[in-house]
Amino acid sequence: MPDFQACHPIAGSEGFYEKGYRMNDLGLFPYPRGRLQKADLDLAAELQSLVDKEIVEKRLELKEDYERLLKPAFVRLMVEMGLQKMFWPEDLGGEGHNEPGVAFTVMAALEQIACADVGLAFLAAHSFALQAALAGNGNLKREACERFAPLFCADGAPVIVSFLLPVFTEEESGATWRGKGLQVTARAAPAGWKLHGKCVRPTCSGADADLFGAWCAVEGEGQQAFILVPGDARGLARGPEFRKTGLAASRNADIDLAGVELAAAHCVFREEQEYRRLLSWYYLGLAACGVGALLASYRILKEWGDNRVIKATGNIFKENPLTGALMGEIAKEIAVDRLLAYDLAEMLAEPDTYGDAGCEGVFTAALIVVHHVLSSADYAIHRIMELMASAGYAKEWQLERYWRDVKTVQCYLGAYELAKHDFARWFYGARTL
Amino acid sequence: MRSIDDFSRPLEYLTPLGEQVGEIIREWVEKEVIPYRRDFDEDYLEHRLILPPFRKLLGEYGIQRILFPEDLGGWGLGHSDYLSVAAFRMFEEIARADSGMAVAFGVVFWPLVLICCEPHVNRRLCEEFAPMFTGTREPVFSCMAMTEPQGGSDIENVEILKGSTIRTTAVQDGDEWVINGHKLWPTNTGGVADLMAVVCTTDPGSRDVNDIAIIFVPCHLPGVTQSSAYEKAGMAADKNGDIWFENVRVPLWYRACGPGDDARFYGEVVSLGNMGSIAFMTGVMLNVYEKVREFTSRNTYRGLPLKENDAVAGVLADFAATIEALRILGYQCARMCDRHDLYGPRWSPEVMAKARAHRYFAADRTLEAMGRVMNLMESFGADREWDVEKHWRDVKMVQLWLGGKQLSQMEVARWFYECETL
Repeated sequence: MPDFQACHPIAGSEGFYEKGYRMNDLGLFPYPRGRLQKADLDLAAELQSLVDKEIVEKRLELKEDYERLLKPAFVRLMVEMGLQKMFWPEDLGGEGHNEPGVAFTVMAALEQIACADVGLAFLAAHSFALQAALAGNGNLKREACERFAPLFCADGAPVIVSFLLPVFTEEESGATWRGKGLQVTARAAPAGWKLHGKCVRPTCSGADADLFGAWCAVEGEGQQAFILVPGDARGLARGPEFRKTGLAASRNADIDLAGVELAAAHCVFREEQEYRRLLSWYYLGLAACGVGALLASYRILKEWGDNRVIKATGNIFKENPLTGALMGEIAKEIAVDRLLAYDLAEMLAEPDTYGDAGCEGVFTAALIVVHHVLSSADYAIHRIMELMASAGYAKEWQLERYWRDVKTVQCYLGAYELAKHDFARWFYGARTL
Repeated sequence: MRSIDDFSRPLEYLTPLGEQVGEIIREWVEKEVIPYRRDFDEDYLEHRLILPPFRKLLGEYGIQRILFPEDLGGWGLGHSDYLSVAAFRMFEEIARADSGMAVAFGVVFWPLVLICCEPHVNRRLCEEFAPMFTGTREPVFSCMAMTEPQGGSDIENVEILKGSTIRTTAVQDGDEWVINGHKLWPTNTGGVADLMAVVCTTDPGSRDVNDIAIIFVPCHLPGVTQSSAYEKAGMAADKNGDIWFENVRVPLWYRACGPGDDARFYGEVVSLGNMGSIAFMTGVMLNVYEKVREFTSRNTYRGLPLKENDAVAGVLADFAATIEALRILGYQCARMCDRHDLYGPRWSPEVMAKARAHRYFAADRTLEAMGRVMNLMESFGADREWDVEKHWRDVKMVQLWLGGKQLSQMEVARWFYECETL
């Protein structure tokens, strides 16, 4: 990993995307050139090189093979490249790259990973969000870092992070957070906490996760607590992996928590603002997943548009007024989405200007951006599929995987109709939504 | 409790045969398809799960004989003026369970329309091929080989290209055609089809529509080679692959309708393909309605069933409204394809353009509506156990085949605005 301690912003014209790494495509789409540090650009370059070698070149043969393609790539990214050490304090074995400006690093890294595989970026987004919530400068939780940083910083094993967030439930009377049911209940026990939950739906990797972050209802209090549950905790049982639309890197399964006992220190925060901060960073990660998928889809469309000929008119595909216009619209979506996602990184990078990542205003902005980016990515990739007709859904052309992955991320993000209530709460002061 | 049967259909268009077969198919999908469909994706190469229900529907129930004249063991639907409306009901019922199966089913009949339907019945070919479909309890599949590597779906664009881009050749040699060429993507390939209709040219590069030939080719003939099925985003029951023809010989009289008429009636294939596509979409929408209704009734938000939330109800209402509108549109399209006396022949540029308009409009609305309800179900929307994501993947393909959206837009614009250079 590059040396982030010695970094400073660099002039945009010398940036990663202009150096020829992807000069002819991804560099076309604007990003805040003055804000990415040299180390961010170097990291992005390293990641691009790694994912090209470890994923893209093997994709046709290994497709979405978890054991042979995705798991080894995740190890390379998180352990060998050191992404899972990024935020943790140096004295605990981490990289100590935990200033708010790391938001740009997260964005640049995840869009590169998502270009190759959205699911891997999705998993990494979980790790970054947890790291930001526990080890971000300004709200660093020393005790939690001391307990959990070694897990991430010991050489060798990747740590898959998953969250147990509020969802729709079949119970009408359980505890809720903003209308959705809290899946896990926590009871204060003499030695710490005792957790219960039945058929709990994780945000990712229920079959594999090493650490679950659960936003729990605390019994008898009417309050919540964010509690970290090791994947090997006694009383935690994983159901069978279930099949889903996309994100093959996330082998998900519902889990049961039957009286899981944890030390008090596993509760890493109680305040809603802390929870919103975690979500704001999580949403940045998911927005980066959407941007990466768009950039990869752009490349596929570019090749198609350069080489196909419409027989009826003799036009190269991109030269036909109808298809060319639609291709232009798709480029517009990509450009705007990328700027928006980097704008969110800017908000997280500048708490003195915009407010803390956990304040209601930044949280709402993050929610707006991630919904907009994923919805727009969904829209744009649909249009690309339409332009490519049957090649759009043939696995050979790779596009359909991004389409499935983006839709899956969008589903896991949550219902847009209900997110709109969050927007209305903030912008209009709605109280009962 | 309200059900999918409460969505409107133009009752005055319905026919006893279509409704009777529709009921049989509904029972068949409930018993033979729905319980197994979640494993279809993994069965895309072998069809171990997909073939047995087809054996029952096509072979044992005998529905594969439906188009052939009654005196040849068929049910005579090709002579009726309600073929499309009856087909719409059948397609919709099958697609409610699995639109890939609906496509595979529909394509059994697609090329046969060219020889079994009035006013262009080819009696000799009916006599030739009827025993293949009526004399067995095993399922028999057909396919329509159109798309080619160099031109994609352009060859469907007969009005403009007049067959000039077709590379698959049919050369007369004595009393036989010798066929050479390469086709991509036909439904029921990948080793499934027993009989195919192949769109050929008798004079490569010619813009004379008399040189467009649709020739029937039994798949077992020497020189016919098929690849294994492509791997796709969904629609596992619809196997697609490459077909190569290398000096394949068939009798001259295997040509469907003859010079000029092959090109003319090819339009009928396009119109019916578009009509059927709408039925596939409404069938899917009906099942998604059932699933979403169950989901939003069982799951709660703020202590109430999800469907009782006003914002959610707005999405659900839009979904129901889309089904209402598309179903009526689809049945109207089918009626238009049936009643030449009222709407003109279904192979006319007018009906082709309108059917294309109906289909791409329906596809856009379907995908928009399905994307919204899938998102409403959050992670469960992407979960195969709820079936919605499978339908979402499948229905995208319905939108993209037959030349995709842009080709449809051009054909619609050409007809309605009399564009001359598109």
